[in-house]
Amino acid sequence: MRDTQHEKTERAPTDEAFINKTHSHTSAIEPIPHQSTLLERLASLTTGYTPDSISELKEKTYFDYPAVKAPLWSWEIIWYFFMGGLAAGSYVLASIATLFGKKEDRIVARVGYYASLLALLPCPPLLIKDLGRPEKFLNMLRVFKFKSPMSMGVWGLLTFSGFSGITAMVQASHDGLLGRWWGTRLLSRIPLKLLAIPGSIFGVFLGGYTGVLLTVTSIPVWSRSKMLGALFVSSAFSTSTALISVILRIIGAPAKTLYKLEKIEWANMLIEITCLLTYLRTAGRTAKALVGSEPKEQGPTFWTMMFGGGLILPWLLQTLMLIAGSKQPRQHTSQGQPTKRGGMGLLVSLLVLMGGYFLRRTVVNAGHASSADARTTLWNARR
Amino acid sequence: MSDHNGQVSATPITERVQQLTQLLAPFKKEKPLPEQPKMGFFTDTSLCIGCKACEIACKQWNQLPATTPEWTGTSYDNTQSLGATTWRHVQFIEQIERRIPHVNASDEKVLKLPLFEMDTPVPQMGMDLSALPELAGTPTGTALPFFSTDRWLMRSDVCKHCANAPCQEACPTGAIIHTEFDTVYVQQDICNGCGYCVVACPFDVIARDSEGDGQAHKCTLCYDRLKDGMKPACAKACPTDSIQFGEVEQLKRDAQERLGFLQERGLTDARLYGADDKILEGGLNSFFLLLDEPETYNLPSNPARPSNHVLPTSLGVIVTAAVMGLIGTFFFKQE
Ligand code: SF4
Ligand code: SF4
Ligand code: SF4
Repeated sequence: MRDTQHEKTERAPTDEAFINKTHSHTSAIEPIPHQSTLLERLASLTTGYTPDSISELKEKTYFDYPAVKAPLWSWEIIWYFFMGGLAAGSYVLASIATLFGKKEDRIVARVGYYASLLALLPCPPLLIKDLGRPEKFLNMLRVFKFKSPMSMGVWGLLTFSGFSGITAMVQASHDGLLGRWWGTRLLSRIPLKLLAIPGSIFGVFLGGYTGVLLTVTSIPVWSRSKMLGALFVSSAFSTSTALISVILRIIGAPAKTLYKLEKIEWANMLIEITCLLTYLRTAGRTAKALVGSEPKEQGPTFWTMMFGGGLILPWLLQTLMLIAGSKQPRQHTSQGQPTKRGGMGLLVSLLVLMGGYFLRRTVVNAGHASSADARTTLWNARR
Repeated sequence: MSDHNGQVSATPITERVQQLTQLLAPFKKEKPLPEQPKMGFFTDTSLCIGCKACEIACKQWNQLPATTPEWTGTSYDNTQSLGATTWRHVQFIEQIERRIPHVNASDEKVLKLPLFEMDTPVPQMGMDLSALPELAGTPTGTALPFFSTDRWLMRSDVCKHCANAPCQEACPTGAIIHTEFDTVYVQQDICNGCGYCVVACPFDVIARDSEGDGQAHKCTLCYDRLKDGMKPACAKACPTDSIQFGEVEQLKRDAQERLGFLQERGLTDARLYGADDKILEGGLNSFFLLLDEPETYNLPSNPARPSNHVLPTSLGVIVTAAVMGLIGTFFFKQE
């Protein structure tokens, strides 16, 4: 049932009679005094749109039947978006560490390149499983289409897989994981820095194209704002920074490196918050499917697991930790970096990972809710 | 996949070769067929009587299975929407008392309806009914029944065969093409059911047959019949010529003429949908004459063309990634 605003909008009595007659089956016509909940107020504040059932009822539709088809995508795509983002972001972060890091930051590069390949491995099977005819997936390689993000995505994923695979092999042969024979000697001669730059470009592509893919559709919540790509790439960066710091906090790493990662994570989260708020504001009414609390709308999950628990809370915790950390004098030891494990940072990073997963999940599921909302679809097409 | 599955593989080598050629067949680029005049539909909803002959004719000709019947309880429309096995769909829109919000004496445009003027008594309990004149019981001042503005709009919906078809632009396998008749066609041997066209279409048309072959389906504009110089099955079956098939240019001229005729007779709300180049920047090869706003028929009045979103969204990705990359670099460089 639609919620009703208590502020009555100006409307002619005849119109109300008309609405009452044509929609007598919907009982929530009389504005029920309604205390808007915290989530509803948050939704209005961030999107700049307050659902107004009276004026929405006046909009014409055909029996409220959906005006666009529901997406077919579900958990496979959600996990693909999440894992693809991790693979892309880890690669880029590892490359930045390789190119600009100090000696003690090597561990970030090492962990990042391995994590990137590992996160990438489930992606192709997930994508293939999602097809209606998985055995025909090779047909994707028939064409190369700039206008189709899915076509570009397949080629981008393929290229990035190549870079991620080779880089991880080079890293492994540097680390002596592949044994010592002529093959590894050859591999370890490939300079990582040469791979890092083109690989990172494709990494950014993989992290961001998923958002573009959703935007290039007719689903209102995905396509109205043009910020979904930026939002997804920022989440790819922040989740993969979190992933790497989780791994480093488990295996142990130089305190200095961890401190750098903390600062990067803090900045990444700040950018993600900015992207998210810009997205919500530019999506306006169409964002209802993501932030609203009606049945099928993703609001409750979005606000608790993503925005609150997965972004704002870890960001605040990180801020506090950084303030507390900067007050403590850092001991500089010339040899033997102090290694660190565990700590609050672990919690922060885990929260960020959770938020990243729920971002993909609520956005994809919001597409389903949005496609079912004929009034918003038709409103969106009025432009 | 192979029609040789049943045979005992007496010649394994030739079978292998056959399998390989089958696997590679979708990669072969064929020469485009010679251009034909653009073909399309002009669906004149003012003529539609809601008989659903088109729905059935389409199912029969294309051998589409029936969908599970479901009573909607909203109207005579129990089909509800187009789908993977429903390529024509007839809508029923009941407009009862639609003029009520417009009752406004100063408004010149309001249709002046002939009203009852006889001051006849309304029948009441205990009254001698034989004393009442005929037509009693119709309250004074109401419209004569045959001038009622209540109406039933009917429309046979179908794929719009968009000149710039979002489904075609989205398709990552190139399964969706514009044929030599400029109609939009899904090549079933190529489609792998990725479902991107389904969310790209702004008109709720193309769908994946998830219970069936897992591929995307929609109206083919009877490509097979067109090749043989025949009218599409739905147009052939339509008893009122509400569905008119022909060359798009000619149809558009006919549509303008019909619109003028209807407007002259007072149907000022009548309009064409998709006959000009505005919708999706190129118009629709299968367009409509509507009697009310497009939204009444669940049609988007000015849908965005999804492929236009590629550049601005990608720009957002690049800027954000650059900022984040610089921040990462800055912090890593720090002592
Ligand atoms: S109406 Fe939909 S399915 Fe038909 S051509 Fe246009 S985009 Fe494709
Ligand atoms: S489902 Fe088939 S026709 Fe539709 S976009 Fe995917 S490959 Fe193309
Ligand atoms: S043109 Fe052919 S395929 Fe399309 S709706 Fe008519 S009968 Fe069906």
